[in-house]
Amino acid sequence: MMNRIRAVAGLFAFVAAAAILFKGVFLLIDIRDRKSDRNITIGSKAFTEGIVLAEIMAVVIERRTGLTVVRRTNLGGTHICFQALRAGEIDLYPEYTGTGLMAILEQPVVNDERRALRIVREAFDKRYRMVWLDPLGFNNTYALAMTEKKARELGIQRISDLAHHPELRAGFTSEFMARKDGYPGLKQLYGFSFTAEPGSMEAGLMYSAVAEAKVDVVSAYSTDGRITKFKLVLLDDDKHFFPPYQAAALIRRQALDRHPELETALSPLAGKLDDEQMRNINARIDLGGEKLESVAAEIAQQLLAARSGRTKP
Amino acid sequence: MRVDFALLLHATAEHIELTAIAVGIAVVIGVPLGAYLNRERFLAGPVLALVGVIQTVPSLALLGLLIPLLGIGEKPALLALFLYALLPIVRNTHDGLGSIDPSALEAARGMGMRPSQVLLRIALPLALPVVMGGIRTSTVINVGVATLAALIGAGGLGQFIFRGIAMVDMPTVLMGAIPSALLALVLDGLLAWAERRMIPAGLRAEN
Repeated sequence: MMNRIRAVAGLFAFVAAAAILFKGVFLLIDIRDRKSDRNITIGSKAFTEGIVLAEIMAVVIERRTGLTVVRRTNLGGTHICFQALRAGEIDLYPEYTGTGLMAILEQPVVNDERRALRIVREAFDKRYRMVWLDPLGFNNTYALAMTEKKARELGIQRISDLAHHPELRAGFTSEFMARKDGYPGLKQLYGFSFTAEPGSMEAGLMYSAVAEAKVDVVSAYSTDGRITKFKLVLLDDDKHFFPPYQAAALIRRQALDRHPELETALSPLAGKLDDEQMRNINARIDLGGEKLESVAAEIAQQLLAARSGRTKP
Repeated sequence: MRVDFALLLHATAEHIELTAIAVGIAVVIGVPLGAYLNRERFLAGPVLALVGVIQTVPSLALLGLLIPLLGIGEKPALLALFLYALLPIVRNTHDGLGSIDPSALEAARGMGMRPSQVLLRIALPLALPVVMGGIRTSTVINVGVATLAALIGAGGLGQFIFRGIAMVDMPTVLMGAIPSALLALVLDGLLAWAERRMIPAGLRAEN
């Protein structure tokens, strides 16, 4: 019996050895990536618009402050970005007011843009010590999309029309399947259901699937360049289910306190991009195959030039 | 499409770094653990089951679970890769040592070797092909799983794969997928070569 206890205790030596080895490796990583006070880390979710907005913000910060910007873009979805921001792994990332309201705060839908912004600003500051800077202008709402061909064939224009077509096959992103401002809430408000439970899939693969007619209805972002690419139409949200999704920089209060110049530096972006412009930027990268970094640098340049042009007498 | 070689090289280096560190630690821990389980037989079942259960956790879920503990970037990626590398190495070491002809061990003891000498000079060399098989399996698995590390900011070749999928751009996907497949083959080949070099001369003819 004693031998057995000793043998089990021996296992802990292996766990301890592994812990020590990892501690050592992590220490080396920390030394290598040592955070300088002059550094600001920008993150983004893993889709074109998120990455390009982060890159534009990075360029603007670099041009207008002496800070060095570390880019950690392409980080999974909302959950991963938000956790990274909370943990201080990143200092800011582009987020959408509607996502903050419904996916993070889990509050009910608010249709008024300004009210939604006010609510997330107050709640994020109080609960998470995070600040929403002024929105960039456009509204990248969630939407349901179908191919033009299929929608015309069935005469579907509005989301409520789906109630007459339970036979349609739907494919949604896993985030849309899970979020309150996604399928669960939509189904409840509109009172429709599909015969076959919608499949949840990765966003890029979902677009390929609808283009190849493997599914009929998909979730989409209204500013997505792929809507044009795959000849999709957005169904009218006739019951006003989706909240406004204004994009803005979400930043840690601590980073802003340390570098108050960030707010002024990013102010030329406020209200400067409308839906059409954002869709164009996405399309240039997703459809035109232009390099994301060069498009972002060009847009940043334009926004900064527009500003200095105006302030000159 | 134009391939950005500097970027590709950088991502490949990140990918190799992740895989090498994770498999390295897994070997340092896993081989002794396998030998230990071979000695303390009653522990083998439960410990191998536990290590096996880790293997069944989907990789993305495991990465997600580690974020609150370790944040984003290389740290959670390395820990996840290590956990996935563990099972093949521990199991193969345990099984390899268990399948050695008892008479060889008997003879070694008869020559007056201490237990540690029997293990290091007789048992492990005899079990080497099986142990190396485990290390090779772990390496190949890790090259694959490491592509997912891109989703938590750890870099690597997965960056191209996920950016390509997001942009529905096949060439970009392939720019990550082809090098990572080649990497798995090359590392496996290197380890096979190392394995041949490590087998003592007296045993080579039999293999």
